[in-house]
Amino acid sequence: MTTQTQTSTIRVEYVKTIGIVNNGLNGRGYANPYDLAVSSDGRIFVLNRCDPARAAGIRIGVCSLDEDYLFEFGDGAGSGDTQFRWPVALTFDDQDRLYVTDEQNHRVTVFDADGNFLRKWGSPGRGDGEFNGPAGVAAGPSTGSGDGAVYVVDQHNARVQKFSSDGTYVGQWGSQGSGPGQFNLPWGAATDTSGNVYIADWRNDRIQKFNPDGEFLASFGTPGYGEGQFQRPTQVAVDGEGYIYVSDWGNERVQILDADGNFQLLLRGDATVSRWAQEYFDANPEEAAERYRSNLTPDLPPHLNTPYHISSQTEPYFWGPVAVSLDREGHLYVVETNRHRFQVYQKQ
Amino acid sequence: MSDSNIELMAHLMRRAGFGAGRDELERCADQGYEATVEELLDTSNANNMPDDLIRRYHVEQSELRDLAGSAAYWMYRMISTDKPLEEKMALFWHGLFATGYTKLNQARSQLNQVEMFRRNGLGRFDEMLLEISRDPAMLVWLDNNDNHGDAINENYGRELLELFSMGIGNYTEDDIKECARAFTGWTLGNAEYMAVRAQKDSIWPYGRIAWHYDYRDDDHDDGEKTFLGETGNFNGEDIIGIIAKQDATAEFICTRLFQFFAADEVTDEGRRAIDAMKETYFESGYEIKNVLRTLFNSEYFRSNEARFARVKGPVELVVGAIRMAGSYQTPTLGIEKVSNSMLYMGQGLLQPPTVEGWHEGVEWIDSGSLVERVNFAAKELSNTESPGVQAIINRLAESGGVLSPSEFADGCVDLLGPIDVSDDTRSVLVDYAANQGDLDLRNREPGGESEKRVGNMLRLIAATREYQLA
Repeated sequence: MTTQTQTSTIRVEYVKTIGIVNNGLNGRGYANPYDLAVSSDGRIFVLNRCDPARAAGIRIGVCSLDEDYLFEFGDGAGSGDTQFRWPVALTFDDQDRLYVTDEQNHRVTVFDADGNFLRKWGSPGRGDGEFNGPAGVAAGPSTGSGDGAVYVVDQHNARVQKFSSDGTYVGQWGSQGSGPGQFNLPWGAATDTSGNVYIADWRNDRIQKFNPDGEFLASFGTPGYGEGQFQRPTQVAVDGEGYIYVSDWGNERVQILDADGNFQLLLRGDATVSRWAQEYFDANPEEAAERYRSNLTPDLPPHLNTPYHISSQTEPYFWGPVAVSLDREGHLYVVETNRHRFQVYQKQ
Repeated sequence: MSDSNIELMAHLMRRAGFGAGRDELERCADQGYEATVEELLDTSNANNMPDDLIRRYHVEQSELRDLAGSAAYWMYRMISTDKPLEEKMALFWHGLFATGYTKLNQARSQLNQVEMFRRNGLGRFDEMLLEISRDPAMLVWLDNNDNHGDAINENYGRELLELFSMGIGNYTEDDIKECARAFTGWTLGNAEYMAVRAQKDSIWPYGRIAWHYDYRDDDHDDGEKTFLGETGNFNGEDIIGIIAKQDATAEFICTRLFQFFAADEVTDEGRRAIDAMKETYFESGYEIKNVLRTLFNSEYFRSNEARFARVKGPVELVVGAIRMAGSYQTPTLGIEKVSNSMLYMGQGLLQPPTVEGWHEGVEWIDSGSLVERVNFAAKELSNTESPGVQAIINRLAESGGVLSPSEFADGCVDLLGPIDVSDDTRSVLVDYAANQGDLDLRNREPGGESEKRVGNMLRLIAATREYQLA
C-alpha cells in the first residue's frame, strides 16, 4: 500500500517478499531480523537479533535476491569474536567489509564478505572509542574526497563517534537533549554520496543531518502520525539522488523524503508469499486453501485501531519495520522484525 | 519506627498493590486512608515502562510470540506502573477467567485479553462478562469457535455459569444448553484458517497472526430460549444481562474479590464485609470499583484480623520484592528468567494450570516453592546496590548512624513492611544482629561491610515465615 503526494518526484514499485519465520536455530529463514546490508556483488546479509530463549539463533544469514539461501555465520550468544548478545545493526563499506554493532557487548565487529572475522573494537565506557550501547553504523565513501570513515551511534552516551576503517578513533559529536546536534537514544545511521551523516534520532522523532565532521546541517520531521512526521524512526538510508528513506517504526511504515526533507512517499507494506513460504504451502495444501479463503486485511474493533495492533493482524503490512537499506541497483529493502522477512521495492 | 497509620497503609498497599517503600507509605499516610483508597481506584493515565523502550530492546516482547517473553512483558508493567491496582485487578481477572498458553500458543492474543482486563477491570461486571465472551483467546480456550447454530458446544456456556459468574448449584443443565445456544456465532475472524493453524500449531510463514472477534449471524441460533426462568429469542448479551442481576452472581464475584484482596478465609466479620459489597454491587449497577471501595473502607479490611491473613501469591511476592528493591527499572537482558521464577513458584503468568485458575492461599506453599520464594526474595533484597535497598540503609542511618542489635533488627523489619513478626522470629533476628555487635552506618562505603550487614539482615527477614504473608 502506497501513499504519495501529488507532486512526488520519486516512485517505487513493490517487487517481492523474502523470508520465513525460522523456528530452528539455524538454516533458511530469519529470527527477528534487525538490519540488512547488501554486498557489492548483490548478496543480502540479514542480521538476526533473535532473543534470549533462542540465543543460539543469533547470526547473520546470507541470501540472494533470487531467494537462494547461501550461507550464515556467527556463533550464537556470547562475547567471543564471532558471537553477539544484542546485535543491532550492520553495514558494508565500499571495500566490502561488514561492520556489526552489539549494544550489550559494547563493540563493533568487522567481517569480510565471506563471513570471516577480521577484527573488533570497543569496550564499555564514556571515553574516546568506548561505547555505551552502540547502535547504528554507517560507512562513508573512500573515493573522491571521502575518507572511508565509520560512524557509530553511541546511544546511551548520546553521541556519534567517528572511526577510521581499522577502528582508530577520529572524533565525536552530540550530547543528551532535543536541540540541534543533540540526541535522545539515537539508533540508525547512514551516509550520502557526499559523506554527510544522517542519524535516526529515535526518541526525538526526527532525522538529523551532519557534515562528515559532525557539524549540524538540518533536521527533518516532528513527532506525529502525519506525512513527514515520525514515531520513533529507527533507520535511515540515502540514495544517490539524495532521497531519504526512513523506517518509521512506531507508525509501522516507511517514508521517503526528498533531499530537503520534504515528504514524498509513504509505504505501509505489500507483503506476498515468499518463495520459501510458497514451498511450505505446497507441502501443506489444506492450510494454504484456508489461507486463500481468508481476509488477511480485516477491519478491526476500535481498541485494536493502532498501527501496532493493525500490523499484528494484517499480514501484508509492515510489522516492526526496523531497517531500510539500499543496494546499487535501486532496490529498497524493508526489514520487519516481527514477521521475520523483508520486503523489496524497486525505485523507478 | 512505624506507627499505626503506616502499618495500615502498608496493609492497603500490599493488598491493592504490590507493597510500597517507606517514602510512599508516608505520603499516603499524610493524605489519609480514604484519599489513598480513591487514588488507588483511579487507574486512569497509568505511567509505566514505555512500550517503545521495551520493544526496542526485547524483540521477543515486540513480537510477543513466545511465552517467556510475553510473561516478562506483563511483569515489566507490574514492576513499573504507578497505578498498581490496575495491574492487580488484571491479575485477579486473569485468575478468574483463567486462559492458558498451553492450549492457545497465542501469547499476543492473551496479552490483548490482559489489556482488556485493564480497560474494564474496575468497570461494570456485566460489561466485563460481555468483553470476555467476545475475547478471542477465551473463545478458543473454551471452544466457542466450535459452538454452532446447528451443533452447540456447551463448554463456554457451562464455565460462564459455573466458574465465571454464579457458581455450581444455581442453574440447571438446561440453562447451560440454552446459554450455549445464545452464544452460537460468537467466533474468530478467519475462523477456519485460524483453526487449521491452531491444529497444526503453525507459525508459518511469518509468525503468529493475532486473533480478533467476529460475529456470524448465519451461524447463530436465533430461536426462543428459556434461561433462568426467562424466555425470549436471547443472544449472548441478553444472557449476560440475566446473569448479572442474580443474587448468586453478586455472592460469587464479591466473595472472589474478598478472597483475593482481604483474606483467604471468610470469618463472621468477613461475611459482613461481603454482604456490604453485595449491596454495593446492586446499588451501583454492578460497578466493581464501587464494590472494591466498599471493601477497602470496611471495618473488617482495616482491622487487625485482616492483616497478614493471606499468603502472598508468587506474582505478588516477586513483583513486591522487585518494587521494594527498585531493580529492573530499564529493559534488562535476561528479564525472562525473573518471570520464569514465578512459574517455578507455581504461578506462571499466562499459564494458569486449568480453567479454574490457581488454587490460592496455603496451597501456594510447598517445600519446593518455598525454597524458590525465599531464594528469590533474599537475592533481590540483599543487593545493596539496588536503589530501594539503599533507601532502607539511608533510613536506618537517620537516627545517628549507630544501631544496637535490637534497633537494627527492628528497623529492618519495620522498613521492609512493617512486618508483624513473632517474638521467636524477632529473637532470632536480634541474635543474628548481635553476632557482630552494633551496626555503625557512619562513614559507610558503598557495598562496604556495614551495608552488607543490612543486606544480610534483609535476606534473613525474606526467609521468615512472616514475610510470606500479605
